[in-house]
Amino acid sequence: MANPAPASTRGLAITEHRLANGLRVVLSEDHLTPVTAVCLWYDVGSRHEVKGRTGLAHLFEHLMFQGSANVSNNGHFELVQGAGGSLNGTTSFERTNYFETMPAHQLELALWLEADRMGSLLAALDDTSMENQRDVVKNERRQRYDNVPYGTAFEKLTALSFPDGHPYHHTPIGSMADLDAATLEDARTFFRTYYAPNNAVLSIVGDLDPEQTIAWVEKYFGTIPAHDGKQPPRDGTLPEVIGQEIRELVQEDVPSRALMAAYRLPHDGTREADAADLALTILGSGESSRLYNRLVRRDRTAVTAGFGLLRLAGAPSLGWLDVKTSGDATIEQIETAVDEELARFAAEGPTAEELERAQAQIEREWLDRLTTVAGRADELCRYAVLFGDPKLLNDALGKVLDVTADEVKALATARLRPDNRAVLVYEPTTTDDAAETEDEEAAA
Amino acid sequence: MTDPTPTMTFHPQPAAGTPSPWAFPAPERTTLANGLTVLHCNRPGQQLVAVEIQLDAPLAAEPDGLDGIANILARALSEGTDTLTAEQYAGELERAGATLDAHADHPGIRVSLEVPASRLERGLTLLADALRAPALPEDEIERLVANRLDEIVHEQANPARRAAKALYATLFEEADRLSRPRSGTADTVKNITRAAVQSFYADHVRPATATAVVVGDLTGLDLGALLEATLGGWTAAPTAAGTHAPVTADDAGRVVIVDRPGSVQTQLLIGRIGPDRHDPLWAAQILGTYCLGGTLTSRLDRVLREEKGYTYGVRAFAQPLRSNAEGTGRALIAISGSVDTASTAPALADTWTILRTLAAEGLTDAERDEAVQFLVGVAPLKYETAGSVAATLADQVEQYLPDDYQAEIYRQLAALDTAAATEAVVAAFPPDRLVTVLVGDAAVIADQVRELGIGEVTVIS
Repeated sequence: MANPAPASTRGLAITEHRLANGLRVVLSEDHLTPVTAVCLWYDVGSRHEVKGRTGLAHLFEHLMFQGSANVSNNGHFELVQGAGGSLNGTTSFERTNYFETMPAHQLELALWLEADRMGSLLAALDDTSMENQRDVVKNERRQRYDNVPYGTAFEKLTALSFPDGHPYHHTPIGSMADLDAATLEDARTFFRTYYAPNNAVLSIVGDLDPEQTIAWVEKYFGTIPAHDGKQPPRDGTLPEVIGQEIRELVQEDVPSRALMAAYRLPHDGTREADAADLALTILGSGESSRLYNRLVRRDRTAVTAGFGLLRLAGAPSLGWLDVKTSGDATIEQIETAVDEELARFAAEGPTAEELERAQAQIEREWLDRLTTVAGRADELCRYAVLFGDPKLLNDALGKVLDVTADEVKALATARLRPDNRAVLVYEPTTTDDAAETEDEEAAA
Repeated sequence: MTDPTPTMTFHPQPAAGTPSPWAFPAPERTTLANGLTVLHCNRPGQQLVAVEIQLDAPLAAEPDGLDGIANILARALSEGTDTLTAEQYAGELERAGATLDAHADHPGIRVSLEVPASRLERGLTLLADALRAPALPEDEIERLVANRLDEIVHEQANPARRAAKALYATLFEEADRLSRPRSGTADTVKNITRAAVQSFYADHVRPATATAVVVGDLTGLDLGALLEATLGGWTAAPTAAGTHAPVTADDAGRVVIVDRPGSVQTQLLIGRIGPDRHDPLWAAQILGTYCLGGTLTSRLDRVLREEKGYTYGVRAFAQPLRSNAEGTGRALIAISGSVDTASTAPALADTWTILRTLAAEGLTDAERDEAVQFLVGVAPLKYETAGSVAATLADQVEQYLPDDYQAEIYRQLAALDTAAATEAVVAAFPPDRLVTVLVGDAAVIADQVRELGIGEVTVIS
């Protein structure tokens, strides 16, 4: 039986508009459910931060919920939830996003709220908010990274992958020291520099009337002044391959050994990045992948083994390998097996069946992201901000399905090599080791 | 000095438009020739179809000394069939663009399939094969057991998992399966064999005591014929449905500190048991619990996060544990979150002050109104995907609730008054009948916690 394709390839109806102040607006109408998603991407992320102020973009994202000229402290949450909506914001290397999903009849409220903070945040921003959210973000860092085993692996491997001084060398959460050092004036300057209509894309998706929606957007956002304080981000371009392996050994109180690595891969938005996505899916996504079959199923040296793609547009993407060992298996055993599998894949390329499976997986993930109005709104912003055109979304899946086995093989040969990776090895300390270390410190 | 930033034109906060009617979807209920109960819902536009299978294989039915066998069986269902090896089965699922997840919890085993509507037949065929003729191969079972033993070590290092394990062990009698980890301990898991898994399968995986829930864009499909041709091929002699014992727990106020030296935060889990969803006060309890700790503008986070900065967020919730048709089942009622180590005792003191103030003064009408508007208003968003509708319908079946239960809860929520919500949340969280589990650095926090007077403090490692 043929492998019938899902109906996901039908295009979304997308229209694009631009206000006189530079705000780009993307609409996509869909009346299946009485809900509407609002998503606002500001073209600022941790890559725009400067040395000594890591974490500022994310801390600032928290401050955006602390009130503006006509909205009280936490009023944004109260009003959206009180209208039956859900909301949040997130910060990554490349952008900061804010989103509300509303019952369709409450769309205008979400637009009013987003406009109020885009235009007047500084009217409400004060020391109390700053000090409180600094503590909240430090607790976020502790909860998500510092108090869990392997929690700082992402930060460590990112720092190894991008050299000191590179805009992607540090992760969005920032360091405790920099979070402590951030001042109210830093936050004000950050707002004045990056939070402008001409540095944002607003997408609205779902049960909406396009003419009415554009009229509301014009009414609420239209008088917010544009400004041009933003400098272009520092260049994140690096040579295609690292040239030699970079390696760090971590001895910590973790439950098992771990081998993690980041391979330098093509920038997001290129055909080669799609080839990399397919290669990593075949090698390390799911229970029919080569690394899972080899390490978990056959060798039984690992409890988990996976490969994921961190797509980056302004710097090389990263191919993220994560293997946790089983029992007494050593890092050397794991590494030998991984290198064998990668070399074999680079030499032979994917089988036709593997390629078909990987494409079906990526197709389903795509369908999953587009199944909600909020997911569609976020993707439209992504294509508009990072690649200049929201309509690229309609071609994105087709491009992945168009990649050939030879292109996947070529990508693997060029990039999935030991001299093109940063490696992070975890060796657990035993309780005895830890006690000894403590004694030494006490004696020193 | 005036701010040099030019200003915008402000407008008054807009009023809401006219709401569109929405109701939680009503499923249709049928039975296949093999006795399998089927609930289905057509959701036009939802191209990812969700299928949930509920199996009558409760943890309480696990043989003595083999805790975790239901979990191993759940995982083993996708490790090959009468025609496919484990690797081939995983490959065929992925070729269909499908995912299949299975897990075991107190009420039974749940198997969840998600598949694009265009490949529903393929997905259902693979699902039916896993239920009808799982190979349960010896070598894969051995591997799953070894994997599980490794996972237990990882869970032990995770503060949230460790807190849950300690709370259940403290609340429930040792003889009650609820007291012990859902997926077993190293001592029980290592004894699980292929023969025991095969026998647990034969005893509990039968169509007549199972239910399938199918939700998604089913337009133009002859679903009845499709299900008969796939899940209809699963046969086994019928058996009596299992029974579920009443739930009891000791919720006398006390504190258990799980020592985790060097922790930069303390994980809090403060709990007891309370009514499950059969209780007529359930809707009022949802409403009151949301006002206490449902979001960052609720009472707990308003102080602990937004005023004091002790935490990234603390939540109050109720989670059904084991229900039965008689209504003697119960839910876990709890407050959960993590705070920086130095703020442990101050955060607990504030929590108890919040609970006492709530009991003394009650909720306000404004809190009630905002909570109702959120809980009812957010429903169309919450149930936008097929997966979320299917999971809720399967939960209802698993908890012996009628198919229109969730729809009825929304009708009740809209009509509840402030006094009802106050009464329910105050009854759910009595300050002197809460068991507090803290996973953190005992050397730093134990003495301060003793001084709070929220119960006798025991430190375990």
